[in-house]
Parts: sequence; structure tokens; C-alpha cells
Amino acid sequence: MSIFLQLLVNGLLLGGAYAIISISLTLIFGVVRVVNFAHGELLMVGLYATWMITSHTGMHPYATVVPVALLLFIIGAAMQRFVIQPLLSAEPHIQIFATVGVSTALLNLALMVFGADVRSAQASFGTDAFQIGPVSIVTGQLATFLIAILVALGVYVFLQHTFTGRGFRALAQNRAAAALMGVNVNKAYILVFALGTSLLGLASGLLAVQYPVFPTVGQYFVLTAFVVVVLGGLGSLPGAVVGSLFIGLIDSIAGFYVGSDLKEVVYFVIFLVILTVRPTGLFGLGRGSE
Amino acid sequence: MIFPQLTHPRAYIGAAALLALLAAPLAINSPFVYHLAVQVCIFGALATAWNIVGGYAGQLSLGHAVFYAIGSYAATMLVIHFGLSPWIGMFGGAIVAVVASLVIAYPTLRLRGPFFALATIAFLEVCRLLVVHFEGLTGGSAGLNVPLNIGLQWMIFREKWAYLAIAFGFLVVTLWISWLIRYSRFGFYLIAVREREDAARAVGINAVKVKIAAAVISAALTSILGSFHAMYLTFIEPSAAFSLELSIQIAMFALIGGLGTVAGPLLGTILVLPAAELSRGWLSALGNGTHGFVYGVVLVLVVLFFPRGLVGHLGGRALALIDRLPGSRRRGPGPRPKQVANRVASASKGQPLLVAEGLQKRFGGLLATDNVSLTLHEGEILGVIGPNGAGKTTVFNQLSGFIAPDAGTVKVRQANGEWTSPSSPEGFAQTGVGRTFQIVQPFSGLSVLENIMLGAFMRTQSAEEAESIARDVAELTDLTALLDHEARGLTVGGMKRLEVARALATGPKVLLLDEVLAGLNPTDVTRAIAMIRKIRDSGVSVLMIEHLMQATMALSDRIIVINAGRLLKQGKPADVVNDPAVIEAYLGKGYLDAQAA
Repeated sequence: MSIFLQLLVNGLLLGGAYAIISISLTLIFGVVRVVNFAHGELLMVGLYATWMITSHTGMHPYATVVPVALLLFIIGAAMQRFVIQPLLSAEPHIQIFATVGVSTALLNLALMVFGADVRSAQASFGTDAFQIGPVSIVTGQLATFLIAILVALGVYVFLQHTFTGRGFRALAQNRAAAALMGVNVNKAYILVFALGTSLLGLASGLLAVQYPVFPTVGQYFVLTAFVVVVLGGLGSLPGAVVGSLFIGLIDSIAGFYVGSDLKEVVYFVIFLVILTVRPTGLFGLGRGSE
Repeated sequence: MIFPQLTHPRAYIGAAALLALLAAPLAINSPFVYHLAVQVCIFGALATAWNIVGGYAGQLSLGHAVFYAIGSYAATMLVIHFGLSPWIGMFGGAIVAVVASLVIAYPTLRLRGPFFALATIAFLEVCRLLVVHFEGLTGGSAGLNVPLNIGLQWMIFREKWAYLAIAFGFLVVTLWISWLIRYSRFGFYLIAVREREDAARAVGINAVKVKIAAAVISAALTSILGSFHAMYLTFIEPSAAFSLELSIQIAMFALIGGLGTVAGPLLGTILVLPAAELSRGWLSALGNGTHGFVYGVVLVLVVLFFPRGLVGHLGGRALALIDRLPGSRRRGPGPRPKQVANRVASASKGQPLLVAEGLQKRFGGLLATDNVSLTLHEGEILGVIGPNGAGKTTVFNQLSGFIAPDAGTVKVRQANGEWTSPSSPEGFAQTGVGRTFQIVQPFSGLSVLENIMLGAFMRTQSAEEAESIARDVAELTDLTALLDHEARGLTVGGMKRLEVARALATGPKVLLLDEVLAGLNPTDVTRAIAMIRKIRDSGVSVLMIEHLMQATMALSDRIIVINAGRLLKQGKPADVVNDPAVIEAYLGKGYLDAQAA
């Protein structure tokens, strides 16, 4: 029983890590309507940036969050402006090709610059654990989880209650109508994309404490985030949070009972079952939103 | 046409270019050139096979290597564990690949959106994990060596030219299948579904079925190529076979050559692969990953500046040059089809043909259709009028299967006199209900002729016969002069007539016209009125939504007025226009009062 309780806690905490990545993915998809296949590689860039700063300056990974988020903000803005924006009216499969190209280029660039070695950032705080009853909790995971919840609330408040956030929601619903109401479409898209990717910068600082970095690390996280986002409903913020927690639980429980090398098989079966039974996901925006 | 007609200049130039791929290495006779030529043949064939689902159907498979790997592993494992020749084993692999493609395609291709692309990547990853996990069978992450039994039956040779001959054979067969698909009814259907799924369904195409079929065919071909490639490489491992990079490479060759074209994927491979192989040496000297980095950058640049690929951007000019060469052109006119509409048995004239009973449809709080019943009789023109927002198009969508009513039924009388209630747009089209769209939906990349042929394919498998039907319909709809133009270049009047022509080519008993006169200039209106009369006289019953009052009055035998989702009035045109309730619906109560005063 105590093992199961421990698995439950681990799963929920892991879900927190997925949640930040999934929120940024779903935010970009929901507003810009582009599936960013380079999302994992942008996270990888963030993790490398975190690692470089910590190994050179000895800063704690948590302290690197601001510069790394800023870096990814700039990269995201550039990607939207120079790759996605010219293709906004192109067919969806052409857009997918473009993001896949960016993903391939970034992944191999990392291989060129850093090699295939696995590197980890050193951290004084975040790897230690404390006990509550029978359950042991790693402080870094708890911090990630709590910040994920704050991010979700923050994004929610931003979208619901700020002028810019309302503009984003208007864009998500109807690009042409939003443009007619005075939303500067291109500028707003750049902002959404860059905000989405800067969340990855935040995630990198948090994850660098627990996870090592290597060129294909992004694929590991983002394949899972894609499953989360489809499960929660493409473009849905609550869906991304609930989906992350759910997949975190599956990850931890299947990893223990099925085997850690096969837990992704379990995700994929879930993914296909969702698409068959409820293609709009748990909180989907309904037909036509895909 | 099962084989290309080799006296046509396009065909013999193509065949000659293809043979050069075989002849040049034989003439040079160097091991490296042989290797390059084998790789070009295999990757050209892989890209061609990918193009069937990625290009024709427009469904991006980013994990296509999974089918390649299934073929590699199946053939190799059958050799190792059962001593089965890869010539047989490759079909075993193809069967597994077909099952795998169904597992991915069935849930995802019913949906619009990026789900298929996501599922293929995820599936690739999962299969790789499974292969690594079950190492007893598959050799795990260390991979498998192909037993080196030399001989034709094992697909293992000492001489490189033998590999080239077989690779070339696979390439030719794959190209031939791709060509066959492109110019068959199935190929037209794929393009129609890719361009406009709704319009495709309205001419009776089961969109989901054709997309899944494309995925399955592509997977089977890819798997067979993978089997051969494993025999050629004599070694397979999960990280190379189940590789995202390989999948992207294949798709990239097709993109660079031209998506959705027959020759494009091979041309793209010929252009990129040798350059990549030659530069691999000095690029990897710069560091691991340089090669992949260049691929990624090239991919982005091509998408941004060259999205239609070699064939798309330069193909037209090249073809114009080739067409100047001597050779036979088109064949004589195809077999004459049956008459466009010939089912007007005068005995059943005036009998009900399409009956809607108690239709009800709610969108959230809005009752868009409230208990509407109507009957269309054989041989009549029934006009549906009503103010804007009255719910006419919603009724229309229920009569053609695009919206399922919350309550009520739509019945169509079949040729044998029995009634049927189809449930999908393609079901309605197939029982003889053709429709047009208020907002025109041409397949803009296709010519006018091909647009109309798409409708005709509902009645015939043969492209010649479809073309012949299309030409007859074009006569009826005044489009003959425009047949070879691209549909996107038509005027509004032309587009509206094209909508009618496409629906008419399906050979409907009932034609639903959604505002085909709206937005036309007076000349086009006169033309369209004459056209609708001709259509009715050819035995098709017409139900038309129209705002243009004079035209509706002149054309309709009966008129139905819909207001606020309800049937307000039906009857002869003259009675309906003078009805106070109708006038009130259109002009408000004030008008009547003012008239009375």
C-alpha cells in the first residue's frame, strides 16, 4: 500500500513537470493553430543553456530561469516571425514540414556543438528528499509541481482577465474577425509563440535539477506532452493540466508494474483509445477546432 | 489504361530517363556508383510510396520508417528463424505493415488535424521500444545480421549489379503503382479529399475510406522495400531502422521533388541523395550531426521558398518542351456513356421522390429547424425561399446528410421503388441526391474537366468513361469552352455552373441547388435559368434555395417559404407571393399596414 501511495505521489509530481511543457504546447496550438514539432528541441536548447550557465558560473539552475526564459522568448519570436508567419496561409502539412525542419536542425546542431554525451547540472537544492509518513518527496519535484500550478493559474488569469489575453482568445476563435476588431494578428502570434517557448525556459531551469541533458532529450518529454495535449483536448488549458497529472500517474504506475522500458507503449495505447473514443479530448474545443 | 502509352513523348522521355539510372552505373562499373544507384533506387521508391499517402492524400506520415523497419525485421527474422526466402518473407512483412497502418490510420484519419502525423511518430517510437524489449526474438538493440546465403532466392549476391537490377525493378514497380493510382478514379478521389473534404463527400466519396486505403497501400509498399534493403545492407538495428531521421528524409525527398506528383519523389531523391552521400565525408569531419543540421536547414528553406518542389515550380515548362517532341497524343474519344439522365419514367412522374418529415435541429439555444416537412415530386422544380437566417441552408444540409437532424427523417425513393434513409453525405450522393454549395467549393488545383470527372466517377470506374460523361455535362452547363482551364481561374458564374456540373455528373435523380443564382450578373442569370430548365427537362428533379425572386417565380412549379426555422407556406408561386404572412416575414408588419392605409 505504501508503495502504491508513493507511486501516486511520484506520478502527480511528475505530472507537474509535464504540465508546464504541455501548457506551452497547447497555448501555441490553441492560438496560432500550428503544431510545433520543434517544441522538444526548444526545451533541449533551454536545458543546454541552463547547463552552460550553471557549469560556468556555479549558479543554481533555479536562478537561471530568467535569462533562459528570455533566450527562449527571443528564439520563439524569431521562429514565429521568420518560419511560421510566412506559412500561415499555407496548408497544414507544409507548416508541419517547417517545424520538423527546425526540429531536425536544432537537434543536430546540439549534436555538433555538444556531442552525444549526457551532461547534468549540479544543484545544491532540489535533489534531496523528505518524508511525510510513508511517502518520500523530492524537494525539486515538489517545487516543479507547485510552480506548474502557479503557471497554470497565471496563464488562466492572463487569458481571462487581461486585454492582451482576450485578444489571444479572440484570435483562437476566429483569426479574421479578431483582425477586424483591431487585434494585430502577426504581432499577437509572435507574442503567443514567444510566451509559449519562454515557458519552456522556465521548465528547463526546473527540470535541469532532476534530469540530465543530451541532444534527443526534448523528444522524450515532448512525445509525452503531445499525448497529454491530445488527451486533454488540443488547445485546452485545463485539459493540459488534468492530462499531465493523468499521464504522470500512468507513467509512474505503468513504469512500476509494466516495466520502465515499456511505459511509453501504455501511453500510446491510451492515445489511440482517446482518438477512437473521444477525439476532442477531455476538454476539447469541439469539432472544427482541430 | 493499365500501362503508360509509350509512344507519347512524356512516356518515352520518362522511360529513357529511368533507364539511364540503370545504364549509367553499368557503364561506369565502380562499386561506389553501384552503391549510390542502389540507394537512389530504394530511396526513390520509398519516397514514391510515401507520396501516395503524404502527397496524394495529403496526410503527413512522419513515422513512415516504422513500415520500412517492419519489412526489414519481418524478412530478416523469417530467414533466421524459419529459413524462409525474403521473396516470400517480404509479403509477410507487408501483411504486418498493413495491420499496423490500419491501427494508426483508422482512429486518426477520421479526424481532421495533425493526429495522423502525431500517431505515426508515436507508433514509430513504440515499435522501437518493443523491438529493443523482446531481444530474444529481435536481437534487441544490438540488431540482427542477415545470414549470408548467397543466391537469388536469398536476395544476397556477390556482384553489385545484381542488387542494382533488383532495386531498379522495385523502383519501376513502385512508380508504376503510383502512376496507376494518380490517373485512376482512386487517385482523383484522393486529391479531391485532400483539397476539399466536404465537396468530395457531396459527390459520393467516402473520404475516410480512401485516406485509409492510401495509407495501407503506402505502408505495404514501404515494407516490401524495407525487406529488400535489409538484404542489401545485411545488417539491421532498431536505431537505424525505426528512425525518425529516416522518416523525415524520405518525406523531404518527396517534398523537394514535388508533393503529389508521380515523378517528383524520384527526382527529389536523384537531386538530393547523391549530393548528401558525397558530402557526408567532409561534413562529418566538421562534427557529428552536421549532416542532419544541413538537412534540417534545407527542409525549412525549401518549405519557405520552394514549397511546390521541382515538379511544381518547373514541371510545367519542362512538360511544354517535352510535348513538342513527336509522338502520339491522346487516344480517340472514349466509349459513349449512358445518357446523363435517362430515368425519367413518365409513369412515376409527379410521384414523391424525396420526403422530409418533421425535421428538427437545435444549435445550442437556437431552434434552427422546427418541424419542417416537405416533399419533392419527380420532375418538378421546387423553390425554397425565406429571409436571411431563416434556416434554409440548415434544412438543405439535413436533406443531403451534412447535418443529422435531432428528430425527423429524410427518405429518398430508389430506382426499384423502395425508400431509403441514408445517413452520410456520400450515402445521399450515392442514392441519387446531388447538391451544390452556397459558398462554391471547386477543387481549385484541378482543371474544370477533372472537377466534373470527380462527380462522374461515382457512376464509373473508368477514367475514359468519366471524361466522356464530364464532356456531356459540360455541354449542358455551358462549360465546354473552359474544360481545360484550372478551376481557380473561373468567374463567379463559371464556378457556380461548375458546382452544378459536378453534382450533375453523379447522375442524380434529385439536384439540390443552394443559391446558384446569387451574385451573378444578368447575363449569367439568364444562362443559369435556361440551364436549370434544361436539367429538369433531362429528368432531374430540382430543389432550389434562391433569393432572386423573379427567377424563382419563373422557374418553380411550387414554392416553400421558410421563416424562423418553420415552414410558413407552400403552394403555387403566385399564391405564395401574395400571402400576407409571407409578405410580413419579408417586409415586416408595417408594410401591410402601410399598404392598407
